[in-house]
Amino acid sequence: MTTHLNPTPVEDRLRDIQSITDAALSRLDEHELLAELLERIRSILQVDTAAVLLLDFSAGQLIATAAAGLEEEVRQGVRIPVGRGFAGRIAAEHRPVILNQVDHTTVLNPILWAKGIRALMGVPLVAGGKVIGVLHVGSLTSRVFTSEDVEMLQLAADRAAAAVHSLTVRDERIAAAALQRSLLPTSLPAAEGAVMAARYVPGAGAVGGDWYDVFVLPSGELSLVIGDVTGSGLAAAVIMGRMRSALRAYALETSDPAEVLARLDRKMQYFEPGVAATVLYAVFDPGLDRVRICSAGHYPPVVAVPGQASELADVPAGLLIGAALDVPRQVASLQIVPGTLLCFYTDGLIESREHPIDHGLARLCQAVTPQPPDAACAAVMAALVGNESAQDDIALLMFHRPPTGTV
Amino acid sequence: MAAEEYKISRAGPRVVVTVPAEIDAMNSDEVREALLSATGPGVTTLIVDMSGTTFCDSAGVHAVITAYRQAAQAGTEVRLVATKVLRVFALIGADQLMLTYPTLEAALADTPAA
Repeated sequence: MTTHLNPTPVEDRLRDIQSITDAALSRLDEHELLAELLERIRSILQVDTAAVLLLDFSAGQLIATAAAGLEEEVRQGVRIPVGRGFAGRIAAEHRPVILNQVDHTTVLNPILWAKGIRALMGVPLVAGGKVIGVLHVGSLTSRVFTSEDVEMLQLAADRAAAAVHSLTVRDERIAAAALQRSLLPTSLPAAEGAVMAARYVPGAGAVGGDWYDVFVLPSGELSLVIGDVTGSGLAAAVIMGRMRSALRAYALETSDPAEVLARLDRKMQYFEPGVAATVLYAVFDPGLDRVRICSAGHYPPVVAVPGQASELADVPAGLLIGAALDVPRQVASLQIVPGTLLCFYTDGLIESREHPIDHGLARLCQAVTPQPPDAACAAVMAALVGNESAQDDIALLMFHRPPTGTV
Repeated sequence: MAAEEYKISRAGPRVVVTVPAEIDAMNSDEVREALLSATGPGVTTLIVDMSGTTFCDSAGVHAVITAYRQAAQAGTEVRLVATKVLRVFALIGADQLMLTYPTLEAALADTPAA
């Protein structure tokens, strides 16, 4: 390969790159987009290799994601710590690096020098002010990369970064929604003498960390969970999934709701430090005459009994999950007479920037009446949400013990 | 970070941090950072002034609790001034962690709410 550049006007080259990235946004996935972009960069800059490494934020490592002329880098799963080696330096220093000498003293990744690359040029991929990866090209023949080459590569990198970023955001949103859907029970288990119904509405177009769960324990007791992980998007949905599984596991170990939440709290603080969540766990006796409830910072359910005004259940407020070690947790025990409806919900249903929280709670109590759970869900959503789009996500779970003689 | 929303005033070993009117997942990290930045050597009491706060969701409560935990580990006492959002702290059980006061004056004079 010669070091003489094709005399194509810069505008034409830019147009090439622009056309790839812009059109690709709507139809290609991340890997297809990067593969196509790298091929085009190879021909425009007349280089032998081109590669993209994307930053894994939690690991602090760059991971080879796409390559042209250097496919082994991706196939071998190359990882470069930020700050070390050629690509690591680009990511850490947030600026282009040119290497006209490639060997083990300048490059960490042996694939690059074993391949016979003589010169390397790399630029950071930056999206939203943050480095999200590195794009580098290499020449198998001696070559001095110019400032014009760097500019060209940086332009391509900026377009690639924008595309990767928007695809990542989109993918995460889809993944979070799919995860959330897979974790919420599609049909609630049948429990003799109980009827249940639920609603889940994502907030402001993004799913959050609200969840509910219903299962029957081997003892015949019915368990009901509702919770809210602070935050939103994929991260919150993943945490929510872990909490749901952990709670189910602890529920099999002990039927004491306070102990289940204490174990869950300990597990979360050890393995997911910094995460906060509210959780309410209720265990109904097999005959459904009584329910034991423990709340870790979660709003108490509304109890609707025929012939009485609905009210908040008298459940002691326990500290939310993730807040402090070894907090005392109390259990409330409630009688359930036939005809009773219990309404469990997350804060998105009652919080408002215009009114204090008690206003929302009072409206909810008014809207909850003892009736079949599907109708109760509909009535509550109509009264509290109406036609407004919720800012926060909303989960709603109704438990109804039908009046005697109707089951 | 809008500086005026996080007024930090220090009177000897006591620091008062005034937090924004509305706290949710959008600014809870800022709130936590503002509270933590106010603690340090020589500070014995951190007063979180939420008397002007009208909305605080669970993310906001968690930010205050996180700051409380770190301050407590450093031996700093945390006092919470809240009126409109006190109920949210009570519902989440967070009022059990720290002393609460109805006004900033009461917090400075250390006369807790009944």
